Amino acid sequence: MRGNFRRMGAPKWALVGLSMVLMAGFAGCTPDDQEPVTIGLITKQENNPYWVTMRRVAEDVAKSEGVTLLTATGTSDTDIDSEVNAIEAMVDEGVDGILIAGTDSKGVVPAIEAARAKGITVIAVDTPVDPLSAVDAFYATDNKRAGEMVGQYAAAKAKELGLEPQVAILDLAPGISSGELRREGFLAGFGIADDDPVIVGSTDTSGDRELGKVAMVQLLAQTPGINVVYTVNEPVALGAVEALKDAGVDLGGVVVVSVDGGCEAIKTAVRPGDIDATAQQYPQNMARKGVTAIADEVRGGEKPSGYLDTGVELITGDPAPGVTSRDVAFGIRNCWGG
Amino acid sequence: MGVFRGIFDMTNFQSSLVQFAYYGAYFLLALPAAFITSRYGYKVGVLTGLGLAAVGGVLFVPASKALVYGFFLLALFTLAAGLSILETSANPFVIALGSEETATQRLNLAQAFNPVGANVGVLMGAILILPGLTSEASKTIMSPDELLQSQEADLSLVLNPYLGIAAVLVIIWLLIAFRKIPILEQPKGDAVPVGNVATRLWHNRHYRYGVVAQFFNVAAQTCTWTFTILYAQDVVGISEKNSGWFLQASLIVFLIARFVMVWLLGIFRPTKLLLIMAVFGVACCLIAMFSLNIVGLIAVVAISAALSLMFPTIYGVALSGLGEDAKFGAAGLVMAILGGALLPMVHALVMDVGSPALGYVVPGVCLAFVAAYALFDLRTSRDPKPSATSAVVQ
Repeated sequence: MRGNFRRMGAPKWALVGLSMVLMAGFAGCTPDDQEPVTIGLITKQENNPYWVTMRRVAEDVAKSEGVTLLTATGTSDTDIDSEVNAIEAMVDEGVDGILIAGTDSKGVVPAIEAARAKGITVIAVDTPVDPLSAVDAFYATDNKRAGEMVGQYAAAKAKELGLEPQVAILDLAPGISSGELRREGFLAGFGIADDDPVIVGSTDTSGDRELGKVAMVQLLAQTPGINVVYTVNEPVALGAVEALKDAGVDLGGVVVVSVDGGCEAIKTAVRPGDIDATAQQYPQNMARKGVTAIADEVRGGEKPSGYLDTGVELITGDPAPGVTSRDVAFGIRNCWGG
Repeated sequence: MGVFRGIFDMTNFQSSLVQFAYYGAYFLLALPAAFITSRYGYKVGVLTGLGLAAVGGVLFVPASKALVYGFFLLALFTLAAGLSILETSANPFVIALGSEETATQRLNLAQAFNPVGANVGVLMGAILILPGLTSEASKTIMSPDELLQSQEADLSLVLNPYLGIAAVLVIIWLLIAFRKIPILEQPKGDAVPVGNVATRLWHNRHYRYGVVAQFFNVAAQTCTWTFTILYAQDVVGISEKNSGWFLQASLIVFLIARFVMVWLLGIFRPTKLLLIMAVFGVACCLIAMFSLNIVGLIAVVAISAALSLMFPTIYGVALSGLGEDAKFGAAGLVMAILGGALLPMVHALVMDVGSPALGYVVPGVCLAFVAAYALFDLRTSRDPKPSATSAVVQ
């Protein structure tokens, strides 16, 4: 009997031990009692994967932080009414804070000011408002730095290839700060001024792929020897590459650079080397930092304020001497819109 | 491996040392394990293995405090060394636990837990580790202090499962150490001069090439599974949170395909089936190399179907007709695990120098060697001719 008890006892004892090990392993899974937080996220539209990624990451972070997230989106990059309505609805819902990517820098300001008057913290993400003081904080890509990175790369790569630079600039549109800052950064990074003779052509494209293609066709007609192409974003870069290919230009002798870091361009154009390099921005960080900042504030932390650089990395499959970059695999792991 | 690459921001080659440490330990400890078992008995062998593996698990604690990659490799090496001794001792231990008539049944029952354990391990990684890791994007804006904190937090996620494993191993160690287990006396066979055996085995091309084929099979298997998650992330852009599921799918495919192969082995000659599946595996590798999207990833998962029959089939074919020499010959086939230590480093190097997808040229070439062995066996008769070739279950 005694022997039987010992034989039966050992596995039971082992079971207790195993249970304790498993319980210890899962102890960290129990959520803490936290102050309830409600945050609203307003993006420009859902057709662009950039904004979809921002929303998805915000949802994930909200879940892990125990935050209730309300989301709203416009129908296009110029849909101000939807955004204003969303702000008002969120104020009525009693949110603690709002993250907003404004479709119009000035148009959304009155609604934001009304929300802040009721004690709601507002963080502008990706796109600034005018005046910037209308929001508590601004979380976005350092667009000038992004432009500078691709400018430095283009200069180093052109030198490596032994090119006499003939630069084409495919810009956004007048008055849009992100485009202006990227251009300014590119010129600084490339080491040229706005009126430098190496710039053989500069055209606005509104950031559109088709308009980018048309612009490139026109610039090539004027200067067939273009060998450095700066594009304000990847849709424009894809359009420009299409035009270069159609014109029978050997892409091995042309340096094409851009800004964005979307999955489509990195997989289909940066990986095969059609786009030589791109500056990758991170809407994930805007969402992550925005949600945690407001949650922290409600739970006793500091009120978000000032500007937060949400990061930018140069992605290329063909590194240039003296220029820090990350490989295409890094770009694919961290791209948005995959 | 992917986890360490992310935490320490290393190249693929540097992070592939994880597999080198693990499989290298398995290879190096195979013979000492056999010595311990024969000199001190099965129980001491099992207890030594369990104890060493538990020590390896506990070594993850100082390694995570030191935040030094080399320390983790040492912990992993120790853990794998223990597991090598454990496996080498446990199989004959299981056989010796009862009558000879039911030995195969007991061994099959014990071995049946291997793929279950592998699936549970990957599942735990996919649920408990991968989703909790700090994203690379967020690291791009961290200060050095924040980066250090994120490293510590990520390593603690890795640490907990290893501590759990160490605790369970200690419990099993105590269970075995303090129980008197009746061991049946080993049947003593006629002593065979080792020198003669080695010479005979060397001159048997079916065996000699079989060891080479097994080396490449283990290499292909290790490469495929080691780099599945990285392929999902680096080539297709699957998130860290979801990439683990593709390795899980590979193991499930492997498990199901193994049962299907057992059935097919009753219909086809083993080496014919081996040839077909090896060629299928090569085709999958080619798709993975050149189809840089979800199709390529599905091909990577499908390689597991090809791998499912290889270890037991090569094992059976290489040892077929060896008689008493099979006991010694089996050791050579087990030591072919060295392929799992060496070739993943080559795979990682190709990834670093070429591209993540191009790395699959390595398992592709490995599977081509397996196909060549199958073809050799089909075209070359044995002397004396074996009546039938049997495949064993790994």
